[in-house]
Amino acid sequence: MVRTAVALLFSVLCISLPAGRLVAAAGPIPQQAPVNARAQAMVDFKKRVDGYLELRRAVTQKYPEVKETGNPAKIHEREVNLGKGIAMARANAKAGDIFAPVSRQLLTIVENDWNSRSPADQKAMLSELPKGLILKINQPYPPNLPLATAPSKLLAQLPMLPEELEYRLLNRRLLLRDRDANLIVDVVVGTEPNRTE
Amino acid sequence: MRLRHFLLVGLLTLGCGGLVAQQAPTVKPAARSAAAQAAKPSLEISPPREMDSVRFGILGDTGTGDRRQYEVGAQMTKAMQIFPFEFVIMLGDNIYGSERPQDFVRKFEKPYGGILSQKIPFYASLGNHDDPTQRYYKPFNMNGERFYTFKKGDARFFALDSNYMDQPQLKWIEEQLSRANDRWKIAFFHHPLYSSGERHGSEVDLRTRLEPLFVKYGVDIVFAGHEHFYERVVPQKGIYYFTQGGSAKLREGNIRVNSALTAKGYDTDNVFMVAELGKDSMQFQVVSRTGRRVDSGSLPLMPEPKQAEDKSRSQ
Repeated sequence: MVRTAVALLFSVLCISLPAGRLVAAAGPIPQQAPVNARAQAMVDFKKRVDGYLELRRAVTQKYPEVKETGNPAKIHEREVNLGKGIAMARANAKAGDIFAPVSRQLLTIVENDWNSRSPADQKAMLSELPKGLILKINQPYPPNLPLATAPSKLLAQLPMLPEELEYRLLNRRLLLRDRDANLIVDVVVGTEPNRTE
Repeated sequence: MRLRHFLLVGLLTLGCGGLVAQQAPTVKPAARSAAAQAAKPSLEISPPREMDSVRFGILGDTGTGDRRQYEVGAQMTKAMQIFPFEFVIMLGDNIYGSERPQDFVRKFEKPYGGILSQKIPFYASLGNHDDPTQRYYKPFNMNGERFYTFKKGDARFFALDSNYMDQPQLKWIEEQLSRANDRWKIAFFHHPLYSSGERHGSEVDLRTRLEPLFVKYGVDIVFAGHEHFYERVVPQKGIYYFTQGGSAKLREGNIRVNSALTAKGYDTDNVFMVAELGKDSMQFQVVSRTGRRVDSGSLPLMPEPKQAEDKSRSQ
């Protein structure tokens, strides 16, 4: 919890710094400094992530973290039950529930990252994409498909997440996945023209 | 039938051991005469060279559950009699496709049953086909962590999660590497920082993050998979790189011809690898599914980077 808070606070600072510099450069500092819109968005995003973690914690009371075991059935069972439990607890979840406050910022980061890559790198990234993936909020990530690798350069620019959650990049779609529940928690879809997959 | 097979394996094992004791483990020429091929034993592997060395096996991209995986597993089990390795590292894609309980049996426990039955531990890293919950699977010895470290003799191993190289993991790696005073520092993970693969190639993004740390803290050897072939890379910035993602899947002919990165490449059959960390060098052997040694050699321990030397002196 503390780690999450620190991580997100760090992200807020990182993202808000450039904007802060812009404000300072634009003219004299007003008496009442306006709220940095991007920082505010990050605070909202953090609240939503925390809300998800709170809900998740309630479900994990019923399905506690599995200890190391030689019985993969126990691991599988816990993953499935945790996923179903969370999905039930947020039965009305829809795209944007978590990402909405920062979706524009995230997509800008994703697009800038993509545009900064060489054609060869872009081609390699596209070749890694799992084929036939249909994304649905609150549904498991298809267990037969590989996980799209999250490029480390991109990860360094995105707001940090708690250990329970991870980003996955699928072409223009940025996915929020619950790592142990294998659940698609949220997705944000870019508006740029389709890249050839 | 079974007795005959047993005798045959025993004879070949003895014969091979006798042969290789006199043989310097240098890289062998690929071309041989048909007569020499016919006279060859079914498993070309040399015994370890040093008494107290750290000996281990290396498998990558294993979890298909198909015939090729089983055949490599059988050869590796046989190899254990000549080259008794103490543990095996896995370079990711441990279980392809579905990860139901029965898949762990078919794609891991059965093909390596002969090794597991000798209580040889496996240490896994995660590939892009692996559900991160594999870290709870006891036979993978990940201690419930996506990235972890363990020590064997004079060597420290760092298993990384290259699918998700986020800031906490990078911070952890730096902390762990800065603390390590071991003679050998070995990193293993799924995505290769250097590769001549036509399909994937080098993971430049990841390299930008990891290589400076590896260089700074004196990592000696890096093992990766992902590419379904074997490649020994020309040393880069004082570090030896191996790609060994061909232990079950095979991407035939995928190594770019005339790649400046390749010291030795093999992309025509599946392989396993064994290595021995001695006082001053690492011996390695790469053996194909049919028992042919396709690469071997001795790599000297590189000098420690200055910073690490200074650090160890001050402690």
